[in-house]
Amino acid sequence: MSFLDSKPGVPLLESDDLVRHYEVNRGLGKPNATVKALDGVSFTLESKKTLAVVGESGCGKSTLGRQLTLIEKPSAGQLKINGDAVGDLSDKDAKMFRRTVQMIFQNPYGSLNPRKKVGQILGEPVLLNMDHLGRKEREERVRDTMAKVGLRPEFYNRYPHMFSGGQRQRISIARALILEPKVIVADEPVSALDVSVQAQVLNLMMDLQEEMNVAYVFISHDLSVVRHIADDVMVMYLGRVAEKGPTEEIFAKPLHPYTRALLASAPKIDPTHRVKSEPLTGELPSPINPPSGCAFHKRCPFATEECAKVRPELRMFEGREVACHRVEEIA
Amino acid sequence: MALLEVKNLTVEFGSEDKPFRAVDSVSYSVDRGEVLGIVGESGSGKSVSSLAIMGLIDFPGRVTADSLTFDGQDLLTMAPSKRRAITGKDIAMIFQDPMSALNPCFTVEAQIMEALKVHEGGSKKQRRERTLDLINQVGIPDPKSRMTAYPHQLSGGMSQRVVIAMAIACQPRLLIADEPTTALDVTIQAQIIDLLLKLQEDSDMGLLLITHDLALVSEAANRIQVMYAGQLFESGPADSIFTAPRHPYTQALLEALPERSVGRDRLSTIPGVVPGQYDRPKGCLLAPRCRYANDHCVASQPEVTDFNGRDVRCFYPLDDQGLPTGQTNSQNVGETV
Repeated sequence: MSFLDSKPGVPLLESDDLVRHYEVNRGLGKPNATVKALDGVSFTLESKKTLAVVGESGCGKSTLGRQLTLIEKPSAGQLKINGDAVGDLSDKDAKMFRRTVQMIFQNPYGSLNPRKKVGQILGEPVLLNMDHLGRKEREERVRDTMAKVGLRPEFYNRYPHMFSGGQRQRISIARALILEPKVIVADEPVSALDVSVQAQVLNLMMDLQEEMNVAYVFISHDLSVVRHIADDVMVMYLGRVAEKGPTEEIFAKPLHPYTRALLASAPKIDPTHRVKSEPLTGELPSPINPPSGCAFHKRCPFATEECAKVRPELRMFEGREVACHRVEEIA
Repeated sequence: MALLEVKNLTVEFGSEDKPFRAVDSVSYSVDRGEVLGIVGESGSGKSVSSLAIMGLIDFPGRVTADSLTFDGQDLLTMAPSKRRAITGKDIAMIFQDPMSALNPCFTVEAQIMEALKVHEGGSKKQRRERTLDLINQVGIPDPKSRMTAYPHQLSGGMSQRVVIAMAIACQPRLLIADEPTTALDVTIQAQIIDLLLKLQEDSDMGLLLITHDLALVSEAANRIQVMYAGQLFESGPADSIFTAPRHPYTQALLEALPERSVGRDRLSTIPGVVPGQYDRPKGCLLAPRCRYANDHCVASQPEVTDFNGRDVRCFYPLDDQGLPTGQTNSQNVGETV
């Protein structure tokens, strides 16, 4: 039985206490510092579902994406697909895994090779991973995928610079989809796009999810987009999970003070939705030298002495996981 | 009299006989103590129009206007040296990306002091004191030690505060903020916008806030202008323009926002993209993307007209129900996209 077959009761993708630390050279004579970019993140992702990862820049959400796609190896912790640990896979299976978990990058201007035509960009993954296909079949597959994401067939011989941002992002999506992956990690896929184009791309992603049964890990900082597309939300702060739960519940009643601050800071177009609250002071602390205890305590309006000393662990509260000492009182 | 008065500002690039109009006869005014928001998608000409006000459009760009007056003085006809004395002092600008707006080779202190030296003079000691004041004013913690920091040592939010400090150094009467928070996180964005609005209120400045974020502009501005492909499409007071849009583009833009379609499966979209240099339609620039467009819209271009106290560039401005008025050829009405 291959790791690609789904097993009943076992989630498609599971991350168990994933850790990624980077060593930073601080200069001659000084010991290296450790950046805890990802410090124990666990989640499960079911087939056809969307998990959104939100947080400020520097919170580790892109690092998480890089671990999930095996662009980097995690320092510790396990990634499981259909219950099998990815770290134990043979080289051949690891290649198969990469095929199953694909990625869409943030910047559609930087992620496409300007010297290659669309047909080549999309054909390359097929050439490398489906070597049983002949040239004709490969081209057929590329054209089919282009049609799926709404690119006209005559674009086959065009270069990336001939496209607008939205169309380029469609090419990126086609490239991720062409190997029929089970999971797509989308790292800020719409943040470089205009509102009207953003809506087109989001609709496309949702349509493709239904059609091809793919699960998304949707990394974003835009809360209104997340609310629309995600089934579950994971809020991260400085490499750790602050809160995790179903999207509607989190938006209706955020429990962690950081989630609340994030929701309150986002501007609202509808005057009736506006909540007047004190803006969060300070900035994300440096991950080289994180604060003691709860990483959020220096910016948190509810912080007590305990928060400065003891790091809160994720625990269940009202059907969600929250990492806060005072969640009972705050809620 | 308004602080800044722009009448039919046009910015053209390219050849004389077939120019590309990045900004096409845009008029607006900003008063003292007023926040004017300009929103639009990329390619709508919002940044170019502000660069034109600052005099930052270089050859081969051509700036023309019926009038471009600041405090009664015409910026286009005055001597270049006189204009240089105004820009940077009375009219200051904050750029989009704070990381690239600062010179990486100089300290924060040196860069702010340079702005002061050019426009205010004074001894080095006075300038240094004033710089410390400014850094304090924009809410940078531990200002003394940050004075000697280089830009790479600062976070994005801190860099933007430095850029703001530089812009307000000479107590400008008009501040142009071009996408001041686009490169920043939401929590930092809220801090920076609060800071800008506080500074604006304290010194009774006029603020021109340029952004693509509809929600942000609706919270911060008094009046809002919606731009599309270089043209002004709609302008009106902030509290009503997004609750009762009169232009189909404003309406469609609002509907495309995820927060407007909570509980719905799919977002409504505007088909197509903003027309570029070579694919500008002949008639109304929105016609190929507009759900209400008819033959008249495709054939000729509408002018900006007054409709219920709003400036709207549309033949068939929308009524309170969001349906086009005065359309006789109604075959396209209600056709959803």
